Amino acid sequence: MSKMNRRQLMLTTAGAFALATLASGGLAPAQADEKLVTIGIELPLTGADADSATRIKNGALMAIEEINGKGGINGYKLAVTVLDSGTSTAGQYDPAQAATNAKKFVADESVVALVGPEMSGEGKAMTPILSAANLATVTPSSTNPDITDPKFAAQYKPNGKAIYFRTVTTDAFQGPNMANYMRDTLKVKSVYIVDDSGAYGVGISNAFEGQAKKIGMNVMGHDQLDPKEADYTTIITKIKGLNPDAVYYGGVAQAGVKVAKQLYEIFPSVIKAGGDGMVDGGLLSAVGFPAIEGWYCTQASPHVMDDAAMSDWVARYTKAYKMTPSDYAITAYDAVQVIADAIKRTSASGQEVNRDTVRDAIQTTKIDTLQGPVAFDENGDIMNKVISVFQIHHDAANPEDDVQHQYKYIGVAPESPTS
Amino acid sequence: MTESVGAKARAGSAIGAQLRRIPAERRRGAILIVVSLLLLAFPLIDRNGGDIDAAANACAFATLALGLNIVVGYAGLLDLGYAAFFAIGAYTYGALSSWQIQPPWSEFWEPFEWLGLVARIHAEGVPDVVHMTVSFWIGMPVCGIVAAIFGVLFGAPTLRLRGDYLAIVTLGFGEIVPIVARNWPYMTNGAIGLNGVAPPRLLGYSFGVDSEPFYYLGLLMIAALIFISLRLQNSRIGRAWMAIREDEIAAAAMGINRVSLKLLAFAVGAGFGGMTGAFYVSKLQTATPDMFMFPVSVMILVMIVLGGMGSVYGVVLAAIILQLLQSWFLQDLTGWVHVFGKWVDSAWLQRVDLVQSIELIFGIILVTMMLFRRQGLIPAMRPTPALTLEQQTAHAGRGGFAMPIRGIEPKTAEPQRAMIEIRKLTRRYGGIVAVKDLDIVVETNSIVALIGPNGSGKSTTFNLITGMDEPSAGQVLLLGEDITGLPAHLVTKRGVARTFQNLRLFSNMTVRENILVAMHSRTTTGPVGAVLRTPRSRAEEREAEERAIEIIGAFGNRLLPRTNQLVKELSYANRRRVEIARALASRPKVLLLDEPTAGMNPAETLELSDQIRSLRTMGLTVFLIEHKLNVVNDIADKIIVLDHGEKIAEGTAEQVHSNPQVLEAYLGRKAAHHA
Amino acid sequence: MTYTDVLLQQVINGVSLGAMYSLLALGFTMVYGIIELINFAHFNVFMVGAFFSMWILKLTGLAGQNVILTGFPLVGILLLALVCVMLFCGVLGVVIERAVLRPLRNVPGTAAMITTIGVSYILFNIILLSQGAAAMNFPNPMPKVQWNVTAGTVLKLREVLLWTISLLLMLGLHFFVRRTRLGKAMQATAQDQEAARMMGIEVDTVVMTTFFLGSALAGAAGLIFGLYYNFASYVIGYTAGLRAFTAAVLGGIGSIPGAMLGGVIIGLIESLGGQLLATRWTDVIIFSILVIVLVLRPTGLFGRMMIRKS
Repeated sequence: MSKMNRRQLMLTTAGAFALATLASGGLAPAQADEKLVTIGIELPLTGADADSATRIKNGALMAIEEINGKGGINGYKLAVTVLDSGTSTAGQYDPAQAATNAKKFVADESVVALVGPEMSGEGKAMTPILSAANLATVTPSSTNPDITDPKFAAQYKPNGKAIYFRTVTTDAFQGPNMANYMRDTLKVKSVYIVDDSGAYGVGISNAFEGQAKKIGMNVMGHDQLDPKEADYTTIITKIKGLNPDAVYYGGVAQAGVKVAKQLYEIFPSVIKAGGDGMVDGGLLSAVGFPAIEGWYCTQASPHVMDDAAMSDWVARYTKAYKMTPSDYAITAYDAVQVIADAIKRTSASGQEVNRDTVRDAIQTTKIDTLQGPVAFDENGDIMNKVISVFQIHHDAANPEDDVQHQYKYIGVAPESPTS
Repeated sequence: MTESVGAKARAGSAIGAQLRRIPAERRRGAILIVVSLLLLAFPLIDRNGGDIDAAANACAFATLALGLNIVVGYAGLLDLGYAAFFAIGAYTYGALSSWQIQPPWSEFWEPFEWLGLVARIHAEGVPDVVHMTVSFWIGMPVCGIVAAIFGVLFGAPTLRLRGDYLAIVTLGFGEIVPIVARNWPYMTNGAIGLNGVAPPRLLGYSFGVDSEPFYYLGLLMIAALIFISLRLQNSRIGRAWMAIREDEIAAAAMGINRVSLKLLAFAVGAGFGGMTGAFYVSKLQTATPDMFMFPVSVMILVMIVLGGMGSVYGVVLAAIILQLLQSWFLQDLTGWVHVFGKWVDSAWLQRVDLVQSIELIFGIILVTMMLFRRQGLIPAMRPTPALTLEQQTAHAGRGGFAMPIRGIEPKTAEPQRAMIEIRKLTRRYGGIVAVKDLDIVVETNSIVALIGPNGSGKSTTFNLITGMDEPSAGQVLLLGEDITGLPAHLVTKRGVARTFQNLRLFSNMTVRENILVAMHSRTTTGPVGAVLRTPRSRAEEREAEERAIEIIGAFGNRLLPRTNQLVKELSYANRRRVEIARALASRPKVLLLDEPTAGMNPAETLELSDQIRSLRTMGLTVFLIEHKLNVVNDIADKIIVLDHGEKIAEGTAEQVHSNPQVLEAYLGRKAAHHA
Repeated sequence: MTYTDVLLQQVINGVSLGAMYSLLALGFTMVYGIIELINFAHFNVFMVGAFFSMWILKLTGLAGQNVILTGFPLVGILLLALVCVMLFCGVLGVVIERAVLRPLRNVPGTAAMITTIGVSYILFNIILLSQGAAAMNFPNPMPKVQWNVTAGTVLKLREVLLWTISLLLMLGLHFFVRRTRLGKAMQATAQDQEAARMMGIEVDTVVMTTFFLGSALAGAAGLIFGLYYNFASYVIGYTAGLRAFTAAVLGGIGSIPGAMLGGVIIGLIESLGGQLLATRWTDVIIFSILVIVLVLRPTGLFGRMMIRKS
């Protein structure tokens, strides 16, 4: 053995690593006669939204695995690439990372469509890039209406065609429909609004406020909370002093946990309501019963999880991923169905399956999914604008953080009259 | 296999030997050229849009790091809220070039439309509105200027604070800016984020969503900022910043206006940050307040700490390393760990995600770098060449300075006037009176010695004269002009120079740089002149260098061979000499020397005494504090004795030595009676 | 609830908030007084303390807020948790001081402070990566007793507990610093390290003790936080930390009574400011106070004038 000093050893090791990286990059088993298309999944799997993002991811993965298990679609097998838009520096999704992910997907020619993103902040950064490449994405949970609003079309679909499709409806309906429900069913006359200063929370609570004022409810105030702060006794005491009938919270679990706990301690008699940010297993276990009891929440999709047909799906999901599904796991599953259906129709008509043809096919989707019929309008929004209302009632027979059983479905929130 | 490895190793070491033969300067230049070519060719090598996008983002963070480098690395001001300027630049650009601000159309806007800065939007059924369309190339410098203005606004009340307090206040500003952004929807659209920020257009072609043009623009920005940083570093401004970083008090004594230079550092750093904000937001086409929070400020600080504070190339390298870590390496490493986990059948290893641990890595970097390698990856200091034996030997010579030293041209227009006059000077600290009702006259072109036991108020008197301390009562006059309470740098500018009892040199700067800093009040090159290297600034720099060499040369073999050595490596006596040389460099009329011969052996003491005498011959006035009575007797025209803050004797050497009060003060009452 | 009831309730809220900030500020200001170091890690030691005490309580079988204890079992369990968390956090503080801060004690400038930022990040992320981002329910066996001060104003048992423990700890600390030998050694070291060393004081031991006490206080604050708010989360050190820091500066950094007073003032500003203005501006107000105090009166309300020798 020749004289190998330390430096030469290090160089050789480094060289070996480099070779390994290059080799692992190219390790794609290419089978010549199999047609392969890739579906991309883009979610914030790091940070504050990691839990809900993982449930969504698993819903999509389950659909893809089922399709591949049945032999694919007209000979096409589905490959998956998952990219994470969360960074720990941001502590949640990072729009810049989402944009980079969009470019990565665009650069990969085998990607024909995406599932995601979860958050609208990501969507805003991604859509100009996706539109330029005519790559469609179907989002199971992004609810900010700006992205599909024709007013902003020049920004979010500069090439004119819709590429942001939703299997969930938007906050333009979620907030206001809850206001309608409050007035009509809960007979609420005065409400105080708080939000968690985040993009989603501000959006949905502003939409709620607009509708509440329009239908004659007394909006006693609208204040913003700092999600990192622990103590909301000041604002809750202030609210108690004003004595509204109801409190509406727009935002996600980070502040929601504290709002729920402290409302229960200081002002338990008030009617409490929130958006889909309050539908979260971790929130249930962090707040605990009886503190979380009685909260109203909405989901921007029709509710189907109670159906007998659904329980088979839920059982399969729970067994495969060791966690209970969220309602957005279903919309993610349905998103994959939309893409699969698009691929089926495209390949059946003899066209090449690429992102342009798939996008066109998605635009004309008309299928039945777990959540019911799915079709899109010319902006990419789902036609079925159903908002479901739930209330939390303790179900002692099931674990505390079981989203399916602790949230009791009440009904559909009334749509705003168009007159 | 062994043979081929051996052959490769031999080839490798042969190449290494070849590389080492090229001189260091050339080697560095060659490395720079190779790296630059690689960076330029990168998008052609790796055609993946996502990778180029990540690289363009990395460029933005590199320019942020360069901006913070000026604040933290050059001027030594720890800024923990740097992301605030990033945010200000981004939102300013958003105001200039997005759909955020849409005032109703009126005639007022017509000239702007004609200039192409705004457009008129017409929609059915609603009044026309103004759409801001300021070009990126105008917007980016404007954002830099706006951010710089905020830098001055934040700095003005706070730059007088000590280092750790300043850090906290900047942290506070870093927190306030995103809160304001979140609560000012008119300007920022709040938490929902800006809509429709326009990408740059060049010659009719819009950057759109392509990453390549942003990447090249980013490289250009890095190059430009490196250029500006290096030019500033090696200029009067840069030296002043480094003096402030090393020792603020000494910097003030050198005539440096600390507040205005700190503000300048803040403003330049903020300007870099603001320009980067415009770049970043025009690329992302949106901005939310969450993008500019404390973790971003810390990330940039980590880049500085990792790269080396004050080291331009180190900081850029660190920015690139950290970005690569986040976008590539950690993801790959996670993949390897998963594979390894499958191999050893560990469920935890298969689940772990190292990308999430980047913040943990930042914390570890901060701790380990501060503990083990504070100078960073690429230190800003260059290693100094060793001296030859001949250069190291020096013999104490007599005869003083070879006259005249060109740098010293004191005015002797009014030899009758007292150079320094102190009237009833008093300094109280709470209950303690350090100096009481002092009356001292230092005649022009004389050598006056101030002596007294320890704690008698000698150094305090110096501090009061030079503006480092404010008197409780009394007056200080310089050639008849009242300079009481004037800040230190202005006192220096009027011709008073001093050395310090405990040596306040700029340890991490060379002898040459220490001398050049002292000329700060006699030169005028500002930041613009420094960056552009105008003929006037070059001439000024050349002249300053020549004068500096002359002053250094006046000390002969002791300092001249050590011109480019770091001061902290010098012997104690040589450091004392540098103190004096530095004081001479500011073209003083009067020199205040605080124990100049402390630590010197008898031969060196005599040498220095001669040198002080020759300074008087050149026309200077010298006021010195000394303990060595033989020196005092030898050279002083007048001796003043202090005890417990009061003057107890004044006169020639014989008069003072026979004064019973003086004896008592020095030797104690019993001994004085026996003397 | 009448408007006076609301204001009175906000005052009670404010004092409770203030007691929490004071508790956090105490340990922080002690360390600064001795070695003039802004220890960012202090507030994440507090956060770690909250988690640690949560685990201790869970170990005893408690969960949620529905298992109520009274009398001796209650006092016993709380004391156990308090002692354990104070020991654990105290040791954590000493480890940080020895491993990371002592080597940097003589390095001028802000190197040590930057290092504490690093340590703070490390603690924060270890908890985040191991426990996840979601808040966790804190087991609380305290009975839900409350009293009506007026018809509409309520004073809760946990608030009384918070005030009592904070006051006791402050008095204990005050007594320790003024009356015991080690406490006097701490005072001496705070005034002049060199002179203290020359008097035969083991400065290293004094600094270590200070860190132990300060971090133990942070741990106690963590337990009390959990009992008060019934949750623990990786992010609680952040906002509470900045407010406590402002409290320490306002009261006079290095001064123990100052920390108490500063805490109460900041707590009252938070509650009354939120009531009379809006909670969204609380952070801006408090930071402005920080800046103003540092610029106009850096010694705060009770701080000592530091004479700098040039």
